[in-house]
Amino acid sequence: MPETVTPERVLAQLEEMLVEVIGDDLLLDGPLTMETSFDQDLQLESIEFVALSEKLLETYGEQVDFVGWLAEMELDDIIALTVGQLVEFVATNASASGA
Amino acid sequence: MPIEQANGLKLHTQHLSTPSPDGQRRPQVVMLHGLVIDNLSSWYYTIANPVAQVADVHLVDLRGHGRSEMPKTGYTVEDNVDDVVALLDLWGITEPVHLFGNSFGGVVSLALAHRHPERVASLFLIEAHFAVEGWGEHMAGSLALAAFGLDEDAVQDWLAENADRKLSRLAKRSERFLTETTLIDDLQAEQPIGWLPEIACPTYAMYGAETDIMDRALELQAKVPGCELEIVPDCSHSLLTEQGGLIRDRALTWLDRVT
Repeated sequence: MPETVTPERVLAQLEEMLVEVIGDDLLLDGPLTMETSFDQDLQLESIEFVALSEKLLETYGEQVDFVGWLAEMELDDIIALTVGQLVEFVATNASASGA
Repeated sequence: MPIEQANGLKLHTQHLSTPSPDGQRRPQVVMLHGLVIDNLSSWYYTIANPVAQVADVHLVDLRGHGRSEMPKTGYTVEDNVDDVVALLDLWGITEPVHLFGNSFGGVVSLALAHRHPERVASLFLIEAHFAVEGWGEHMAGSLALAAFGLDEDAVQDWLAENADRKLSRLAKRSERFLTETTLIDDLQAEQPIGWLPEIACPTYAMYGAETDIMDRALELQAKVPGCELEIVPDCSHSLLTEQGGLIRDRALTWLDRVT
Protein backbone atom coordinates (compact mmCIF):
# COMPACT_ATOMS: atom_id res chain seq x y z
CA MET A 1 0.00 0.00 0.00
CA PRO A 2 1.82 3.15 -1.16
CA GLU A 3 2.05 6.02 1.27
CA THR A 4 0.15 9.14 0.36
CA VAL A 5 2.51 11.83 -0.86
CA THR A 6 1.20 14.91 0.89
CA PRO A 7 2.91 18.30 0.56
CA GLU A 8 3.66 18.21 4.29
CA ARG A 9 5.42 14.90 3.95
CA VAL A 10 7.41 16.07 0.92
CA LEU A 11 8.44 19.21 2.81
CA ALA A 12 9.73 17.12 5.71
CA GLN A 13 11.62 14.79 3.38
CA LEU A 14 13.06 17.73 1.47
CA GLU A 15 14.37 19.19 4.71
CA GLU A 16 16.15 15.93 5.49
CA MET A 17 17.68 15.82 2.02
CA LEU A 18 18.89 19.41 2.23
CA VAL A 19 20.53 18.77 5.59
CA GLU A 20 22.37 15.86 3.99
CA VAL A 21 23.51 18.06 1.09
CA ILE A 22 24.42 21.25 2.96
CA GLY A 23 24.81 20.20 6.58
CA ASP A 24 23.12 21.39 9.76
CA ASP A 25 23.78 25.03 8.81
CA LEU A 26 20.60 24.77 6.83
CA LEU A 27 18.47 25.11 9.93
CA LEU A 28 20.30 28.05 11.52
CA ASP A 29 17.64 30.46 10.31
CA GLY A 30 14.70 28.28 11.28
CA PRO A 31 12.84 25.38 9.72
CA LEU A 32 12.19 25.01 6.03
CA THR A 33 8.87 26.48 4.86
CA MET A 34 7.02 26.59 1.56
CA GLU A 35 8.12 30.21 1.14
CA THR A 36 11.84 29.49 1.61
CA SER A 37 13.75 30.35 -1.57
CA PHE A 38 16.65 28.18 -2.63
CA ASP A 39 18.79 31.11 -3.68
CA GLN A 40 17.96 34.02 -1.36
CA ASP A 41 17.26 32.10 1.85
CA LEU A 42 19.25 28.89 1.56
CA GLN A 43 21.91 30.28 -0.77
CA LEU A 44 22.01 26.89 -2.36
CA GLU A 45 24.92 26.65 -4.76
CA SER A 46 24.25 25.21 -8.18
CA ILE A 47 26.37 22.15 -7.46
CA GLU A 48 24.33 21.53 -4.30
CA PHE A 49 21.21 21.69 -6.41
CA VAL A 50 22.68 18.90 -8.52
CA ALA A 51 23.20 16.82 -5.37
CA LEU A 52 19.61 17.56 -4.33
CA SER A 53 18.38 16.40 -7.76
CA GLU A 54 20.08 13.10 -7.18
CA LYS A 55 18.47 12.66 -3.77
CA LEU A 56 15.05 13.45 -5.21
CA LEU A 57 15.61 10.76 -7.84
CA GLU A 58 16.66 8.25 -5.16
CA THR A 59 13.64 9.08 -3.02
CA TYR A 60 10.82 9.42 -5.54
CA GLY A 61 12.07 7.52 -8.58
CA GLU A 62 12.02 8.48 -12.22
CA GLN A 63 8.32 9.34 -12.29
CA VAL A 64 9.27 12.59 -10.61
CA ASP A 65 11.40 13.87 -13.47
CA PHE A 66 13.10 16.70 -11.64
CA VAL A 67 15.96 17.04 -14.14
CA GLY A 68 13.52 17.15 -17.05
CA TRP A 69 11.46 19.77 -15.20
CA LEU A 70 14.56 21.90 -14.64
CA ALA A 71 15.60 21.47 -18.27
CA GLU A 72 12.44 23.32 -19.31
CA MET A 73 13.36 26.34 -17.18
CA GLU A 74 15.65 29.25 -17.81
CA LEU A 75 18.54 29.65 -15.39
CA ASP A 76 16.82 32.67 -13.79
CA ASP A 77 13.70 30.60 -13.10
CA ILE A 78 15.77 27.90 -11.44
CA ILE A 79 17.55 30.47 -9.28
CA ALA A 80 14.21 31.99 -8.20
CA LEU A 81 12.64 28.63 -7.25
CA THR A 82 10.94 28.32 -3.87
CA VAL A 83 10.66 25.23 -1.73
CA GLY A 84 6.88 25.43 -2.23
CA GLN A 85 7.19 25.16 -6.02
CA LEU A 86 9.38 22.10 -5.73
CA VAL A 87 7.14 20.48 -3.10
CA GLU A 88 4.10 21.04 -5.31
CA PHE A 89 5.88 19.54 -8.32
CA VAL A 90 6.96 16.46 -6.36
CA ALA A 91 3.60 15.94 -4.64
CA THR A 92 1.67 16.25 -7.91
CA ASN A 93 3.88 13.89 -9.89
CA ALA A 94 4.50 11.37 -7.12
CA SER A 95 0.74 11.13 -6.46
CA ALA A 96 -0.05 10.81 -10.17
CA SER A 97 2.33 7.88 -10.48
CA GLY A 98 1.27 6.29 -7.21
CA ALA A 99 4.79 6.53 -5.80
CA MET B 1 26.90 6.68 -6.99
CA PRO B 2 27.76 10.35 -6.93
CA ILE B 3 31.09 10.07 -5.09
CA GLU B 4 33.52 7.63 -6.66
CA GLN B 5 37.03 6.61 -5.67
CA ALA B 6 39.50 7.00 -8.56
CA ASN B 7 43.22 7.75 -8.77
CA GLY B 8 43.34 7.87 -4.97
CA LEU B 9 40.69 10.59 -4.68
CA LYS B 10 37.00 10.89 -3.96
CA LEU B 11 35.51 12.42 -7.10
CA HIS B 12 31.93 13.62 -7.56
CA THR B 13 30.32 12.48 -10.79
CA GLN B 14 26.85 12.43 -12.30
CA HIS B 15 25.54 10.08 -14.96
CA LEU B 16 22.62 10.95 -17.21
CA SER B 17 21.10 8.60 -19.74
CA THR B 18 17.81 7.53 -21.27
CA PRO B 19 16.94 4.04 -22.48
CA SER B 20 18.08 3.35 -26.00
CA PRO B 21 15.02 2.52 -28.17
CA ASP B 22 16.77 -0.30 -30.04
CA GLY B 23 18.73 -1.59 -27.04
CA GLN B 24 22.03 -0.64 -28.69
CA ARG B 25 24.82 0.80 -26.56
CA ARG B 26 24.85 4.55 -26.84
CA PRO B 27 27.78 6.85 -27.54
CA GLN B 28 29.67 7.70 -24.35
CA VAL B 29 30.10 11.42 -23.64
CA VAL B 30 32.28 12.85 -20.86
CA MET B 31 31.95 16.55 -19.99
CA LEU B 32 34.74 18.49 -18.25
CA HIS B 33 34.28 21.97 -16.75
CA GLY B 34 36.39 25.11 -16.20
CA LEU B 35 38.52 26.36 -13.30
CA VAL B 36 37.90 27.15 -9.62
CA ILE B 37 34.42 28.69 -9.54
CA ASP B 38 33.16 26.24 -12.15
CA ASN B 39 32.01 22.64 -11.65
CA LEU B 40 29.87 20.04 -13.36
CA SER B 41 26.69 22.06 -12.75
CA SER B 42 27.47 24.36 -15.71
CA TRP B 43 27.04 21.34 -18.01
CA TYR B 44 24.24 19.87 -15.93
CA TYR B 45 22.03 22.94 -16.35
CA THR B 46 22.81 23.56 -20.02
CA ILE B 47 23.31 20.67 -22.42
CA ALA B 48 23.79 17.50 -20.35
CA ASN B 49 20.11 16.59 -20.30
CA PRO B 50 19.45 17.15 -24.04
CA VAL B 51 22.61 15.24 -24.95
CA ALA B 52 21.52 12.41 -22.62
CA GLN B 53 18.59 11.80 -24.98
CA VAL B 54 21.05 10.39 -27.53
CA ALA B 55 24.10 9.39 -25.47
CA ASP B 56 25.22 8.27 -22.02
CA VAL B 57 26.52 11.45 -20.40
CA HIS B 58 29.13 11.36 -17.64
CA LEU B 59 29.83 14.57 -15.71
CA VAL B 60 32.90 14.96 -13.53
CA ASP B 61 33.81 17.45 -10.82
CA LEU B 62 37.55 17.74 -11.47
CA ARG B 63 39.77 17.46 -8.37
CA GLY B 64 39.38 20.45 -6.04
CA HIS B 65 36.11 21.47 -7.68
CA GLY B 66 32.42 21.11 -6.87
CA ARG B 67 31.83 18.21 -4.51
CA SER B 68 35.07 16.42 -5.29
CA GLU B 69 37.95 16.08 -2.84
CA MET B 70 40.45 18.97 -2.73
CA PRO B 71 43.94 17.54 -2.23
CA LYS B 72 46.72 20.00 -1.35
CA THR B 73 48.71 19.20 -4.47
CA GLY B 74 48.42 17.74 -7.94
CA TYR B 75 46.66 20.26 -10.17
CA THR B 76 48.57 19.92 -13.41
CA VAL B 77 46.71 19.17 -16.61
CA GLU B 78 48.29 15.71 -16.53
CA ASP B 79 46.98 15.03 -13.00
CA ASN B 80 43.49 15.83 -14.26
CA VAL B 81 43.97 13.57 -17.28
CA ASP B 82 44.96 10.73 -14.93
CA ASP B 83 41.80 11.27 -12.88
CA VAL B 84 39.53 11.10 -15.90
CA VAL B 85 41.24 7.99 -17.27
CA ALA B 86 40.92 6.34 -13.85
CA LEU B 87 37.19 7.13 -13.91
CA LEU B 88 36.80 5.67 -17.41
CA ASP B 89 38.48 2.49 -16.15
CA LEU B 90 36.25 2.46 -13.07
CA TRP B 91 33.14 2.80 -15.24
CA GLY B 92 34.37 0.02 -17.55
CA ILE B 93 34.24 2.28 -20.59
CA THR B 94 36.74 0.82 -23.03
CA GLU B 95 35.45 2.25 -26.29
CA PRO B 96 36.59 5.73 -27.37
CA VAL B 97 34.54 8.50 -25.74
CA HIS B 98 33.41 11.89 -26.96
CA LEU B 99 35.03 14.50 -24.74
CA PHE B 100 33.31 17.83 -24.17
CA GLY B 101 35.57 20.42 -22.56
CA ASN B 102 34.79 23.93 -21.36
CA SER B 103 37.75 26.31 -20.84
CA PHE B 104 40.23 24.44 -18.59
CA GLY B 105 38.21 21.29 -19.29
CA GLY B 106 39.17 21.88 -22.92
CA VAL B 107 42.87 21.56 -22.30
CA VAL B 108 42.31 18.46 -20.16
CA SER B 109 40.33 17.01 -23.09
CA LEU B 110 43.05 17.88 -25.59
CA ALA B 111 45.77 16.40 -23.36
CA LEU B 112 43.77 13.20 -22.85
CA ALA B 113 43.26 12.86 -26.61
CA HIS B 114 46.99 13.33 -27.11
CA ARG B 115 48.17 10.91 -24.43
CA HIS B 116 45.46 8.29 -24.87
CA PRO B 117 44.30 8.58 -28.50
CA GLU B 118 42.72 5.13 -28.32
CA ARG B 119 40.27 6.37 -25.67
CA VAL B 120 38.94 9.44 -27.47
CA ALA B 121 36.52 9.40 -30.42
CA SER B 122 36.09 13.15 -30.80
CA LEU B 123 36.57 16.52 -29.10
CA PHE B 124 33.88 19.18 -28.66
CA LEU B 125 35.55 22.22 -27.14
CA ILE B 126 34.05 25.43 -25.75
CA GLU B 127 36.51 28.26 -25.15
CA ALA B 128 39.33 25.76 -24.75
CA HIS B 129 42.29 27.10 -22.87
CA PHE B 130 45.91 26.02 -22.95
CA ALA B 131 49.42 27.27 -22.29
CA VAL B 132 51.02 29.11 -25.18
CA GLU B 133 54.51 30.37 -25.99
CA GLY B 134 55.88 32.78 -23.37
CA TRP B 135 53.53 31.40 -20.75
CA GLY B 136 56.08 30.85 -17.98
CA GLU B 137 58.33 33.81 -18.66
CA HIS B 138 56.18 36.74 -17.74
CA MET B 139 53.74 35.11 -15.48
CA ALA B 140 53.40 36.29 -11.90
CA GLY B 141 51.62 33.79 -9.68
CA SER B 142 48.15 35.24 -9.79
CA LEU B 143 48.33 35.71 -13.54
CA ALA B 144 48.39 31.99 -14.01
CA LEU B 145 44.67 32.07 -13.49
CA ALA B 146 44.14 34.84 -16.01
CA ALA B 147 46.05 32.80 -18.52
CA PHE B 148 43.59 29.98 -17.99
CA GLY B 149 40.62 32.23 -18.59
CA LEU B 150 39.99 33.19 -15.04
CA ASP B 151 41.02 36.80 -14.70
CA GLU B 152 42.10 37.61 -11.16
CA ASP B 153 39.94 40.73 -11.09
CA ALA B 154 36.99 38.63 -12.12
CA VAL B 155 37.66 36.21 -9.29
CA GLN B 156 38.05 39.06 -6.79
CA ASP B 157 34.87 40.75 -8.04
CA TRP B 158 33.04 37.49 -7.84
CA LEU B 159 34.28 36.81 -4.33
CA ALA B 160 33.38 40.34 -3.20
CA GLU B 161 29.93 40.06 -4.71
CA ASN B 162 29.36 36.86 -2.79
CA ALA B 163 31.07 37.99 0.41
CA ASP B 164 27.86 39.26 2.00
CA ARG B 165 26.36 35.86 1.65
CA LYS B 166 27.10 34.43 5.06
CA LEU B 167 26.74 30.92 3.86
CA SER B 168 28.47 31.31 0.52
CA ARG B 169 30.11 27.94 0.58
CA LEU B 170 31.37 28.19 -2.98
CA ALA B 171 33.13 31.49 -2.24
CA LYS B 172 34.85 30.02 0.82
CA ARG B 173 35.75 26.91 -1.04
CA SER B 174 37.19 28.88 -3.97
CA GLU B 175 39.30 30.99 -1.66
CA ARG B 176 40.63 27.87 0.03
CA PHE B 177 41.36 26.37 -3.39
CA LEU B 178 43.42 29.41 -4.42
CA THR B 179 45.31 29.89 -1.15
CA GLU B 180 45.76 26.43 0.35
CA THR B 181 46.59 24.24 -2.65
CA THR B 182 49.32 24.20 -5.28
CA LEU B 183 46.80 25.04 -8.02
CA ILE B 184 48.41 28.33 -9.07
CA ASP B 185 51.96 26.96 -8.90
CA ASP B 186 50.95 23.92 -10.89
CA LEU B 187 49.28 25.96 -13.61
CA GLN B 188 52.19 28.36 -13.74
CA ALA B 189 54.52 25.45 -14.39
CA GLU B 190 52.53 24.24 -17.41
CA GLN B 191 54.60 24.23 -20.57
CA PRO B 192 53.26 25.45 -23.91
CA ILE B 193 51.82 22.49 -25.76
CA GLY B 194 53.63 21.62 -28.94
CA TRP B 195 51.65 18.54 -29.86
CA LEU B 196 48.45 20.02 -31.26
CA PRO B 197 49.31 18.70 -34.77
CA GLU B 198 49.30 15.18 -33.28
CA ILE B 199 45.63 15.29 -32.27
CA ALA B 200 44.11 12.54 -34.39
CA CYS B 201 40.38 12.68 -33.66
CA PRO B 202 37.67 14.94 -35.15
CA THR B 203 37.59 18.26 -33.28
CA TYR B 204 34.97 21.01 -33.10
CA ALA B 205 35.87 24.23 -31.30
CA MET B 206 33.62 27.14 -30.36
CA TYR B 207 34.68 30.54 -29.04
CA GLY B 208 32.87 33.81 -28.34
CA ALA B 209 33.82 36.66 -30.66
CA GLU B 210 34.59 38.84 -27.62
CA THR B 211 36.72 36.22 -25.89
CA ASP B 212 40.05 37.26 -24.42
CA ILE B 213 41.70 34.13 -25.76
CA MET B 214 41.06 34.38 -29.49
CA ASP B 215 44.72 33.46 -30.01
CA ARG B 216 43.92 29.95 -28.72
CA ALA B 217 41.01 29.66 -31.14
CA LEU B 218 43.22 30.52 -34.08
CA GLU B 219 46.00 28.24 -32.88
CA LEU B 220 43.64 25.29 -32.61
CA GLN B 221 42.31 25.93 -36.09
CA ALA B 222 45.82 26.27 -37.50
CA LYS B 223 47.39 23.28 -35.77
CA VAL B 224 44.82 20.61 -34.95
CA PRO B 225 44.30 18.61 -38.16
CA GLY B 226 40.80 19.14 -39.53
CA CYS B 227 39.71 21.25 -36.55
CA GLU B 228 36.45 23.06 -37.26
CA LEU B 229 36.23 26.46 -35.59
CA GLU B 230 33.05 28.43 -34.97
CA ILE B 231 33.15 31.98 -33.64
CA VAL B 232 29.89 33.04 -32.01
CA PRO B 233 29.17 36.79 -32.37
CA ASP B 234 28.62 39.00 -29.29
CA CYS B 235 29.74 36.35 -26.80
CA SER B 236 32.51 36.26 -24.22
CA HIS B 237 34.51 33.50 -22.56
CA SER B 238 31.29 32.52 -20.74
CA LEU B 239 29.95 31.13 -24.00
CA LEU B 240 28.46 27.99 -22.45
CA THR B 241 26.12 29.84 -20.12
CA GLU B 242 25.48 32.70 -22.56
CA GLN B 243 24.48 30.44 -25.45
CA GLY B 244 23.27 27.18 -23.93
CA GLY B 245 20.66 26.65 -26.65
CA LEU B 246 23.05 27.18 -29.54
CA ILE B 247 25.68 24.92 -28.00
CA ARG B 248 23.08 22.23 -27.38
CA ASP B 249 22.15 22.31 -31.08
CA ARG B 250 25.79 22.20 -32.17
CA ALA B 251 26.56 19.36 -29.76
CA LEU B 252 23.69 17.22 -31.03
CA THR B 253 24.65 17.88 -34.66
CA TRP B 254 28.26 17.06 -33.84
CA LEU B 255 27.41 13.75 -32.16
CA ASP B 256 25.21 12.85 -35.10
CA ARG B 257 28.15 13.43 -37.44
CA VAL B 258 30.84 11.60 -35.47
CA THR B 259 28.87 8.57 -34.27
